[in-house]
Amino acid sequence: MKAFQQNLKQLEAADTQVLGVSMDSPFANKAFADQIGVTFPLLSDWGGDVTRQYGIYLDKYKAARRVNFLIGKDGKILEEQIDRDAIDPKKIVDACERKKLSR
Amino acid sequence: MKPRGVSTMLGVWLVTAAILCPQIRAQNNKPEPAPMKLKVGDAAPDFKLNYFDGSDLKEVSLSQYRGKSNVVLAFYIFAFTGG
Repeated sequence: MKAFQQNLKQLEAADTQVLGVSMDSPFANKAFADQIGVTFPLLSDWGGDVTRQYGIYLDKYKAARRVNFLIGKDGKILEEQIDRDAIDPKKIVDACERKKLSR
Repeated sequence: MKPRGVSTMLGVWLVTAAILCPQIRAQNNKPEPAPMKLKVGDAAPDFKLNYFDGSDLKEVSLSQYRGKSNVVLAFYIFAFTGG
């Protein structure tokens, strides 16, 4: 999440809204956001319905896999970063920048 | 007799190594990550989720950004973990 915060200006300049999602409660997520200085919303998928809908619920951890989706203005998925690859959002930031240039 | 014994031993050793090697290699390989249900190009399912802004619960849906901005959905495992 911190990595997205560091790139937030770039992403916003490329018309991109960042939303964190986890299965924590809204209040835990708010405390987490404050602690690490995240200013974008951290959404609470309490119960995990959306996590399951996106097919990334892990039985083993009773939680979501670490996955970043970049979703375009048309609602279609443009990029995915999965597990370890999802820690560094560079691929997504670059994709947003490219989109901005190609407009 | 002696040289033949040595070459037999070597032969046995080579056969054993040939059998074991692929198995050892397979054990060292990391398991492939599970395939993704949603792929690039698929429509992202709409959702409505809440977050707490410090005073109120706010509702966010994916569809509210349709036609307005791209959205990064960053799923993470638990609050208070790295990354």
